[in-house]
Amino acid sequence: MHPINWIIVVGYIAYVMWDGIRRSKGTTEIEGYFLANKSLPWWAVGLSVMATQLSAVTMIGTTGQGATDGIRFIQFYFGLPLAMVILGVTLVPFLHKSKVFTAYEYLERRFDAKTRSLTSFLFLLSRGMSCGTILAAPGVVFSAVFGWDLLWTVALIGIPTVIYTMIGGVQAVTWADVKQMVLIVFALLAVVVVLLYKMPVGADDALRIAGSTGRLKTFDFSFNINETYTFWSGVIGGTFLMLSYFGTDQSQVQRYLTARSVDEAKSSLLMSAYWKIPLQALVLLVGVLVFVFYLFQAPPLLHNPAHEAQVRAAQETQYSALESRFQEAFTSREAAARAVADARDNGDMAAEAQAMETFRAREADVLEIRDDALALAEDVTGESSRDVNYIIPGFVLRELPLGLVGLFIAAVMAAAMSSIAAELNSLSTATVIDFYRRWFRPEATDAHYLKVSKLATAFWGIFACVVATYAATLGSLIEVVNRFGSFFYGSILGVFLLAMIPRARGIGAFIGLLSGMGVVAAVTFGAPDVSFLWHNVIGAVTVLIVGVALSFLRPSRRNE
Amino acid sequence: MSAPESPSKSRSFRRTLLAVMAVQVFTLLLLWLLQLRYHV
Repeated sequence: MHPINWIIVVGYIAYVMWDGIRRSKGTTEIEGYFLANKSLPWWAVGLSVMATQLSAVTMIGTTGQGATDGIRFIQFYFGLPLAMVILGVTLVPFLHKSKVFTAYEYLERRFDAKTRSLTSFLFLLSRGMSCGTILAAPGVVFSAVFGWDLLWTVALIGIPTVIYTMIGGVQAVTWADVKQMVLIVFALLAVVVVLLYKMPVGADDALRIAGSTGRLKTFDFSFNINETYTFWSGVIGGTFLMLSYFGTDQSQVQRYLTARSVDEAKSSLLMSAYWKIPLQALVLLVGVLVFVFYLFQAPPLLHNPAHEAQVRAAQETQYSALESRFQEAFTSREAAARAVADARDNGDMAAEAQAMETFRAREADVLEIRDDALALAEDVTGESSRDVNYIIPGFVLRELPLGLVGLFIAAVMAAAMSSIAAELNSLSTATVIDFYRRWFRPEATDAHYLKVSKLATAFWGIFACVVATYAATLGSLIEVVNRFGSFFYGSILGVFLLAMIPRARGIGAFIGLLSGMGVVAAVTFGAPDVSFLWHNVIGAVTVLIVGVALSFLRPSRRNE
Repeated sequence: MSAPESPSKSRSFRRTLLAVMAVQVFTLLLLWLLQLRYHV
């Protein structure tokens, strides 16, 4: 990468760190450190909510998914606006007014200490590991793209994030998120402009060609619980998932607890309700346009440069033969794509239909050769290729103009840093408030808690870096933890829903939570084809049924 | 869970709800038109 691009990346990281440390002034008590003394404006909180959810995986993985699979992934977010509105009238006002630091703290007031501790522990377990994977994703990609050791790429993203989060607390996290969100949107829009400028066909033809491969099919109205990306999975399963994530996950709850008032907290969530789907459409559209761009400009056979080098070294002859076949297939497909555009420009419908048929056949040829190359790469390297994650970084480095490359790399880092910072901040909050202060030192001074909070942030930061560094070897363990996370996400939502029922009791909440997790585990192993989006519905409904039944069976007591 | 809201707050919320839903319907309509025009 050109030195000017590196100056932009390093300059951006240095600026975020400096600004974060600057904001530590005035943070002398834990209310300020964790909740910014409830002083932040709605728009800053709203951008922070969006930045926390948009990680580097979105910037490199989701854009790549747009290139290979089109925009149907957007259906995943169809439940989000409704979930935000529901949270705006239920949990947000209540949590904001109840002066809690964590969502789980409220569960002790409503039910009992063991329900609070269990839900908080589950949060620490899942978010601790996910923080590592969020850091690992760009780390692994940058490591392959720049040829650096994974340790260095993880350190480049992880260490500055840990430093500004540890010193500046939630103020630093939120204001860094604001800048990061602006940078991310600007970088995405800039890529779209460059793509449209460099494409040899017009936008209308480009979309028509992409549409002929099914990449612009947004809606799938089939009702199939085994499919994740359908309209109904998105609206029903997605609503439950988003209610769980934004309503009960401390990494999100803590964002809107920092807002000045209940109304500002609600408004901050509604910002996501308004903008999440359009933003996600932009992310996926970048991928679709990159696909069309690569119809006219030969892409590498394998997008992962590290795998390509390994395959070339180990199977030179076989790989060269594949490359020759790929070049021929690419040339034929390019001619077919140009024929589609020409037929459209001439208004010849019959010729256009014929050209599309030919184009789809040539596209299938290219896909077949690429599949052979991916299989060869997996044989040689012994690991899953995940080539889709390297499409956009490769495009950016090869095709974007000087300066914009640095800006996009900085935006990917910003996306990773904003998500990691919010998670570290919330992990520290849950550790100190739900465990240290609750069980070990209930009567210490604010200065003491502040010191412990900073140490907890550093601990979780180091933990995330270690998990990320060993991401490749911990692959199966991380998958187990992620799967375990899906067991309880909906169940925790069920506990919060149960809290809204006046006669619900602690015993119902605790046993309901365990039952919800058990039923989801049984569904996961007994019917593995059921999409994980439905696990949230199953978990929440089970907790409600068991919780209500037990609460009504047992004689009521005010405080169990 | 929370205290009953005042009529003005309820009105304000209904307005916000309508605005959010209107934006979503508009966005989904655009995506639908994109699919109708370009998906073959």
